[in-house]
Amino acid sequence: MNRLPATPTQKIDHDRRIRFVFAGRQLEGLKADTVASALWAAGVRTWSRSFEYHRPRGLYDLEGEGASGLVSIDGVPNRSAGTTLLERGMTIAAQNVSGSPDRDVYGALDRFDRWMPAGFYYRLFHRPYRAWPFFQDRMRALAGLGRLDVDARHDPGVRTEWYMNADVAVVGGGAAGMSAALAAAEHVDRVCLFEARPWLGGHLDWRVREVGGRPLRERAIELARQVAGHSSIRVLTHAPVTGVWGENLVTGFQVGPRGDGGATEGYDERHWECRAHTIVVATGALERPLVFEANDRPGVMQVDTAWRLARHYGVRPGEQIVFSTADDLALEAAADLADLGVQIVAVADARPEGLDGELAARLRDLGVELMPGSAAAAVGGRRGVTGVEIAPLEGGQARSFPCDVVVAAAGRQPEIGVLSSAGAGFEYSAHAAAFVPKSLPDGVFPAGRVLGLTDVEAIEASGVVAGLNAATACGALARSGSGDGESRDADERALGSAIRDAEGRLAGLPGPAAGSGHVRGPMTGKGRKAFLDYDEDGTWKNAAQCVEQGFDVPELAKRFGNFGLGPGQYRVPGQNLAMAMAELTGRPVGDIQCTTVRPPLIPPSLATLVGPGHDVHKRTPLHEDQTARGAIFRQAGAWKRARYFSDDFSCREEIRNVRENVGLLDSSPLGKFRVFGPDALRALQRVYISNMTAVGEGRCKYAAMCNDTGNIIDDGVVTRVGRDDFYFTTSSNRAGGTVEWFRYHTRYDGWDYNLVNLTDNLASINIAGPNARAVLSRVTDSDLSGGAFPYMGYREIQVGDSIPARCLRLGFVGELSYELHFLASYAQHVWDLLMDAGAEFGIGPFGLEAQNCMRAEKGHIIIGTESEQRVTLLDIGMGWMWDRSDTESRKVGAPALRACADQTDRLKLVGLRLDDTAGRKSPEGPADGALVTAREEILGYVCTTRYSESLGWRYALALVRDGRAERGTSVELFQDLGDGPRRFAAMVVPPHFYDPDGARLRG
Amino acid sequence: MTFRITCPVCGSRDVYEFTYGGHERGPRPAQEGLSAEEHFRWAQFRTTRAEAQEEWWYHGAGCGVWFSMWRNPATNREERPEPVDARGTGPTTEGDGE
Ligand SMILES: [Zn+2]
Repeated sequence: MNRLPATPTQKIDHDRRIRFVFAGRQLEGLKADTVASALWAAGVRTWSRSFEYHRPRGLYDLEGEGASGLVSIDGVPNRSAGTTLLERGMTIAAQNVSGSPDRDVYGALDRFDRWMPAGFYYRLFHRPYRAWPFFQDRMRALAGLGRLDVDARHDPGVRTEWYMNADVAVVGGGAAGMSAALAAAEHVDRVCLFEARPWLGGHLDWRVREVGGRPLRERAIELARQVAGHSSIRVLTHAPVTGVWGENLVTGFQVGPRGDGGATEGYDERHWECRAHTIVVATGALERPLVFEANDRPGVMQVDTAWRLARHYGVRPGEQIVFSTADDLALEAAADLADLGVQIVAVADARPEGLDGELAARLRDLGVELMPGSAAAAVGGRRGVTGVEIAPLEGGQARSFPCDVVVAAAGRQPEIGVLSSAGAGFEYSAHAAAFVPKSLPDGVFPAGRVLGLTDVEAIEASGVVAGLNAATACGALARSGSGDGESRDADERALGSAIRDAEGRLAGLPGPAAGSGHVRGPMTGKGRKAFLDYDEDGTWKNAAQCVEQGFDVPELAKRFGNFGLGPGQYRVPGQNLAMAMAELTGRPVGDIQCTTVRPPLIPPSLATLVGPGHDVHKRTPLHEDQTARGAIFRQAGAWKRARYFSDDFSCREEIRNVRENVGLLDSSPLGKFRVFGPDALRALQRVYISNMTAVGEGRCKYAAMCNDTGNIIDDGVVTRVGRDDFYFTTSSNRAGGTVEWFRYHTRYDGWDYNLVNLTDNLASINIAGPNARAVLSRVTDSDLSGGAFPYMGYREIQVGDSIPARCLRLGFVGELSYELHFLASYAQHVWDLLMDAGAEFGIGPFGLEAQNCMRAEKGHIIIGTESEQRVTLLDIGMGWMWDRSDTESRKVGAPALRACADQTDRLKLVGLRLDDTAGRKSPEGPADGALVTAREEILGYVCTTRYSESLGWRYALALVRDGRAERGTSVELFQDLGDGPRRFAAMVVPPHFYDPDGARLRG
Repeated sequence: MTFRITCPVCGSRDVYEFTYGGHERGPRPAQEGLSAEEHFRWAQFRTTRAEAQEEWWYHGAGCGVWFSMWRNPATNREERPEPVDARGTGPTTEGDGE
């Protein structure tokens, strides 16, 4: 293993080896390695192939900045090698590879770039038009990143979510972010600090350079210790931010203990959202890649990649390394690597002057050749780096250096993702050669390197300023002190002077260092293989082609040349694209805007977005009883409901027992409401389309609600239980929206009424069938005879010894039936009483599907099944409910019904009787949703269709265009469920099939 | 899209807790003599202007109150128009729901 001796900056544990498999080979890494550091240490150089040209790619960055670093792990594609921790037994596969990573069968595409200019796919394949499907198939086979084995079952592990509120959210746990959190936490109570890496410290974490007499790393440790010990700061590490949304909602995910080293407890990854009053953005800086020929070769890497390989993972980045960089941090990295015993052959710096004198002297002392004003022009080698050409940027002779690693960067660019997602604007600073924040949204405060700062003390001081400003802006003053004027004034003065002090300190420290404005090295050719964007193989030449075609600003080049459309988004091509467009068009960079950054800034895994698989549902008070009786449950609205009591999904036995005997249904999800008060009747008159003054005591009135378009939105029964006191039911799905609906439509009126949702307080059991009265009379002393308690009657009865129940004599399923509403806590007891009383009749439970079949046979509609947006109350044959004479109540829906009452050619509810032979067996019939046709014209569709044992034929309720399907006409039902078209003959009949006169439910 | 809304009863809460009830367009018109056109103009038409407007919100996950407030849908911020509006419709009081 190619490891350096242990140092305190390393995260790895040299004694804990972790075995894993890459491309079929057994390899070994160390505890706390990332996949990338382990692969590099094991000598693997290529672990993906590029998207377009299939060029070998591997380690460029350790931060998940693009597609080059994506691998497939245990069958899950597109995992970031640089940020995913190595776990025991991982099977890692190279991505976008046909064959082996080193010998890819599509690698030849690399030689065809001449015939694949920018916009190639858009311009070529659409002519002739009929050829497009052919090309589309072939391109699809090559397109996309990673392959998902759709047949494999992936264990997503434990995925959870967390919702936080904060006064101040700090994004970035480096020196600036930690300083901001500490400063803010002195004035507010809730500070949340989010850091993408598994540890705090930012770039100070691995730097041993001494500033003010002590290593920078010690300052990072000191700040991290203070942050961890502060009771007002909550720290989330390994928690990348995916975006900032309206009014400072910060979202992200966090890798948990199970995903972070294989613990068995906790979670693998969780989604989090933090609603903050204000945000400090201290996301630091990214490297700006240097563009030169073959700058994508495995072995060409970022400064921090080489540095962190050595400092964090104890991996020797290469045997012989050449730097082509442009800032003092890179000089520090080169000197530090040399100190660690890594051979640095030469350091080219694009800046002709202004190099840190101390670092330059140290490099020369270490025997490293320093070449100011020079940069890499090209690297040699086919699968890896064998050497690099360095040449002066102002012209001159190139020199070749043999090496296996080239550390290359054109400079640093602020990591603007989070700021941009929050809505900040940016401007180009020619001094720093970087786009820095210009306009900031309310409550967002940048700090540190994202401002272009380079001096470590200034970075820290800017964090203090941002933290204090963020605390002030989120109302720290308003909440400090006891609230009396004098102490608040004192607090205000103290915070004000703290901000002035911090700003004064920052002003006395160095601002951003001068940056190099170069994008490319002194390359000679057109830049055929000099990449601005690795993800989509966007070259310098492609950028020039974009300009030639008129796509001469980044937003256009992004679309036409695919710059920044890959997983890395703005990171690798971000600022370079703007600078390249400036160079290619001869305009100043300041006139050009970078492309818009879009969330998610870091892609979370789909499993994390899916989350813990919310199966949120309500259970009725009889759920356990129904489970014990073998119920098969289905989600129905908010509820889990017993749908079947056997695996005969036609429910033949359940239906037969209700039709011929007696059955029991748990109908607890039914909406149940009390409305009372002097204006209760006025409210009912407003929302119900029916005449509610006709609601009497002891009687149930069937009534419906419409919306302002005349669609029926609810039906149920209403009864009067006192002078200004009413009790009503709604359909189960409508229960949750009823209070909102009443209050909305009476919001101007100032009426005095109260509406109470009793749905969850009261259980409901429906006893139905010819023997229902006989069974119920055994558990109550009340007179249930037809004379004393007629159909549509309402009584308050006592069940058993002491249970008061509201009893409604209704007939949804078309049989004699009673609905009992009573306190939910008695549900099991009442159910048991009824089952015991009915035992000698052979009473049995029935489920939702049996109820559905029986109500449909009866022609009783379910809203949303036999009605829809295009269908009014009149269209489903229920216009009789509408009190047309009442304009005084301003009923919701009445004007719309009036407007469409005389319209023709509307969808109307009809009944269909299917041809006997075709409809005999239910699998032979059509399904719900089949089309109703006549002479190859679509007239409508089937809402519900079943084969009825009671009728002996198959029926359907259908919505059919008015005037096209009179009673007695023949129509055809058509369906194609993927197994070929099928047609069924049917005849239009009235939509009441079973007991059309209602003799049974009145019995 | 996400923002906060100030409920007159519960204070500043996440928009997820609320239901939108459309912009303020006056009470339900009298139905006597109301033409279909007038009804649908009142019931269906939305102004969709990118400026502060009075809107109705229902705090379903909180106190269950409908209230009206001024908000600019272009910025999602609560915002009252200038005190003297060129159209002559100044802001009305908040929280005049039932
Ligand atoms: Zn509220």
